Formats: sequence, structure tokens, C-alpha cells
Amino acid sequence: MESRVLKPILGVYVAAFLLFLYGPFVVLTIISFQQGPEGGPQFPIIEWSTYWYKHIFGLTPPSRIAPLPVGEALFRSLVLAFMTMVTSTVLGVMAAQAFRKRFKGASFVFYLIVLGMMVPGVLTGLGTSLLANNIIGIERHWYTTAFATHVAYTFPFAFLVMLAILNRFDASVEEAAWSLGVSPWMTFRKITFPLIFPGVLSAMLFAFTLSLDEFPRTLFASGRDQTLPLAIYGTFSVEIHPNIFAFGVLTTLFSFALLSVYGILMALSVRRAKKMAMQEDIV
Amino acid sequence: METAVFRLDGVTKRYGDLLALDQVTLDVGVNEYVSFLGPSGSGKTTLLRVIAGFEAPDTGRVFFEGRDITHLPAHERGIGFVFQNFALFPHLTVRQNVGFGLAFGKNPLPAAEVDRRSAEMIAMVGLAGMEDRGVDQISGGQRQRVALARTLAMQPKLVLLDEPLGALDANLRGRMRNELRAIRERLGVTFLHVTGSENEALAMGDRVVVLDRGRIIQSGTSDEIYDTPASPDVAHYLNRFNLFDGTLADGQFRGQFGTVAVPGARRAARDVYAVGYDRMRVLPLSSSADGPKLKATFVASEYLGSSIMNFFEVDGGGVVEMEHHLSLGAPETYAPKQDYLLTWNPEHAIVFGREAR
Repeated sequence: MESRVLKPILGVYVAAFLLFLYGPFVVLTIISFQQGPEGGPQFPIIEWSTYWYKHIFGLTPPSRIAPLPVGEALFRSLVLAFMTMVTSTVLGVMAAQAFRKRFKGASFVFYLIVLGMMVPGVLTGLGTSLLANNIIGIERHWYTTAFATHVAYTFPFAFLVMLAILNRFDASVEEAAWSLGVSPWMTFRKITFPLIFPGVLSAMLFAFTLSLDEFPRTLFASGRDQTLPLAIYGTFSVEIHPNIFAFGVLTTLFSFALLSVYGILMALSVRRAKKMAMQEDIV
Repeated sequence: METAVFRLDGVTKRYGDLLALDQVTLDVGVNEYVSFLGPSGSGKTTLLRVIAGFEAPDTGRVFFEGRDITHLPAHERGIGFVFQNFALFPHLTVRQNVGFGLAFGKNPLPAAEVDRRSAEMIAMVGLAGMEDRGVDQISGGQRQRVALARTLAMQPKLVLLDEPLGALDANLRGRMRNELRAIRERLGVTFLHVTGSENEALAMGDRVVVLDRGRIIQSGTSDEIYDTPASPDVAHYLNRFNLFDGTLADGQFRGQFGTVAVPGARRAARDVYAVGYDRMRVLPLSSSADGPKLKATFVASEYLGSSIMNFFEVDGGGVVEMEHHLSLGAPETYAPKQDYLLTWNPEHAIVFGREAR
């Protein structure tokens, strides 16, 4: 009786959720195929074309519409996201590893780390820029000050992912390695790391994607050279053309590609994790 | 102690309020096989973990081959450890598991030498031909042997076994016991074996150490422990005695079976009368005999292979067990819910009491 009422409601809820999640992307995709250069970001589609995709790559004859200033910004964003990913994941693994042992002030340090994802980004960005400009007296760059804010923001995510993974980790395999005379560092390299690799992969994905589209912190902390989200935002202030939508479609496809790689790597290591689970089953 | 390969000196370990080990002192000789017996929570696993270096004792010292290793990290001790869950490396093959310590340990060997020695160990535990299987592709008993081979490949002088047979079925358990004995004779290794099974402890150990609440309550050969348990608790853990409460006064023990003269008693904190399962005799209810008598109702019997265990319920709810060895002849059959008279020769009883000399 209950489910006869509840199930349709939940079904509608999920449908609405998916609509709101993917609706904007679908609209964006449709408009990105608008005719150019006269067609604007509105319905109806005058004529289907790939003009705006060519426009992004500079393959169209010159017109009054300037090409998107994304080339360098995209490069910066990718480099920054990569730097952030590596740093945050390494820190996250190390910090989570440290939390496996109880130490004095552990919960204080825990909240201190997690604060990085709680504090409003604008404040962090503004604070960092004030700190750099007025107190330390260094120039702001995407690869210095903005990088620092990105790490402070993504490190907690990587840390929490690794904490969850290590919580379920059976430490007896490490002890077994020690009892064979293998040093703790070698044990980490040869045993612990391969077994927690699925978690490391998730932490990397979090750090990379969060950094790639980070806006509020970067806005204040990045200085003169802009990252991709800032560059895109900059074009809004003039006039919006469908080339932005075309670009949006391309970056989304890139994200899907990234997810697929993640999915494949994950499937490979989950197969390994299953072996581990089987071993625990017999106990 | 010159002959001791290994020594614990007043080792104490607490977890918060819980006293896991309380002033444990123990000497173990070269090539000795020591079984630790005790209920769960008695501190036996903690004891092994302290010896292996996974836990540091709060006080006390640990000596191994004449060296104080109390503060030496686990990987520098050279003490093998076989885990209850085997703790095999799930992402490695049988060969890689066995060769792991040889390849990545303190003195890494060249790859060819690692392969040769692991192949040797794998053959020794009877797993030749399975070298390239993943550890999820072999049975429980085979995993146990991989765990053993992995440890023995490092040629440790001391091997700690944490209920390694607990995860195996009875058949495999028996076979592994034999293999462990054979390996020990061949390689001259000292084994410390923790077990919750009294049969395993009595069968395997040159010496049995009984632990309770973090303390050693008795230590001796299997015979000594079985024939002369030092306290009611030991008698209880051995799971081979019917224990009766009562009072010991002036050489007489008064219990629910009547008052019986006691030739000799052992000092203990409470008065307990213990009779081995195999010392019990069953008589028809009508028979009249001297000595201890206990009216009891037959409940059920259990076939154990070499013997039959009969369960009787006495007034007041206690269960009394009577074991009949089949080598002594065909078993009597008893009728369920029928009353019988249980008795025994008082000379075979072991009596504990506060007033014992």
C-alpha cells in the first residue's frame, strides 16, 4: 500500500532530478549547433551547422565575433588541475595514513583539514590575495597563490576518500610483510599502495575536476593570467555567442572521457579488491 | 637462561582499562613447541603481537637470541608470524607471496635465487604446480600452506602461529598438525602456537601454557596439564572435567553427590571437585553402591569418532558429561529422559579447596 503511493512519487522525483541535471546540457548542445555567425543563443535553430565548433578552432573566415580567448587559459587550467591533483592526492594519502594511528589532537587536526572545503571560496580567495599582496608582498599567479587555494580546497576531499578506504583496510597484510623483514616503506610501496589504489584513483579524480572548474578562489588569487573558468566568465560581459556553448559541449565530453578512463582503471583494481574480499570471507 | 632462545620478562600491556597482559614471564628453549591455551580475551593473541613487535608492551622486556628486542621494530626482529586469516597478499601469486620477504626484505636476494628458494618452499608444503595461481584461486588449506611457506622461506628461528588452523575443517586441521610437526623436526624452528582448542594445544605442544585474564595460570607438558590442572580454571578450559561446587572441610568434600573423603587437595580460591569425563561411571538408578552418587537424566549422546560423549542433566540444571572410549568396548545405550545413577572412583577426582595443604 505504502509503496503504491511512495514509488510513483519517488519515480517522478528522480525524473525531475535527471531533467534538471541534464536539461541545461541538452539545451546547450542544441544551441551549439546554431548557424553562424549571425545566429545567436536562442531558439529556434535557424539552420543546423557546426560553425561554432570550427570557430573555436579558428577554422572560420574572420568575422566581427572574436575567437574565444581560451587557448592559453585552457592550458593553464589543465596544468593547474594536474599540479593540484598530484599534490592533494599525495597529501591526502599521507594524512589519511597518519590518521590510522591515534595521536594527540587528532580530531582537531581533522577539522582543521576538513575546514578547507567548508570555508566559503570567495573568502579564501580574497584572504589569500590580501595575504600575498599586503603582508608577504609577493605577486599573485595561477601557479603560486591560486595553486595554494586549490590545494587547500581539494586536499580535504582526497583526505576523506583515503580515510574511508584505509578505514576498511585489513592491516594484517602489512604486519605480515613486516614479519617477513620488509621495511614499512617497502611494505607501503609493494602492498598497501597497490591495494588502496582504487581509492587513490578516486581522490585524483576529485582533486582534478574540482580544480579544473574552480571559480571563486581563483578569481582573487590568480593574478593577471586567467584560468579557463575566469576566461569564459570574462566573455560573458560583452555578448554571448553559441561558441561558448560549443566549448561547453567539448569540455563536458572531455569530462566524460576522464570518467571513462577512471571507470576502466577502477574496474581493473576492483577485480583485485575482490580477491582481497574473498580472502577475508574464509575467516 | 643459556638455552632459552626467547624470553619474556614481566610483560604488561593495557588497552585503556583492560589489562591484556599482566606480568607475563616465560622462557622458551631452542626447537621447543609451545602451545598457548586460553579462552578468547585471555591475552594470547596480544602476547603474540607483543612478541612479533606489532604492539609495544607497557612494561617488561622481550629477549630473543640474547638480545633485548623490546623496542626493535617488527621488520628487524626476524620472527615469523602466521595469521589466523593468513593475511596473504591478495594482488600477488602464490610464488610472489612466498618469495616476497626474500625479494624485498632486509637482505634482498637476486631474482633467480628468490625463484629457486620459493620453488623449494612451495614444493615442501606440497603446492608444486600452483606457483602462478592467484591466492583467490586456491582452497583454504592451500592458503594456509602458502602462509606457512611464506614465513618459513625467511628461515626464522622463531615462528608465531595465531590460531592458524582455526579456519580449516577438521580433516585439514589434522593434516596440517602433522605437517607442522614434520616441518619443525626438519628445520629446527621454535614454534609458539596460540589456540582456543584444548585438543590442539594438548596434541601439538611440548609444553602447554594456559592463560587467563592476561596471566599465565599454568605451564607444563601436556600430561602435566591434563593430569594435574593447577586450578579450577585450568580444569575448566581443558574441557575434560565435570566440575562440581561444594565445600571442602576436614578432608571431606560435600557436594550434590554426597560427602566424599578426599585423600589430597590442591589449594585454590574456591572449593571445586573435578572428575574427568572418562572417569564417570553410569549405573542403573536402582543400584546401591558406596561412594559419590549423582542422580541424573540422560539427555543425548554424541559420536566423536574414537569415543562417545553422553550428556546427563542433574537436578538443578547442570550438565554432566561422560565419555566412553570405543577402544574399551561397545558403548552402553541409555534411554532418553531416563534417570540413572552417576558415580566414580574418588581416587580419580581432583579436588581444589581453600583449606588445602
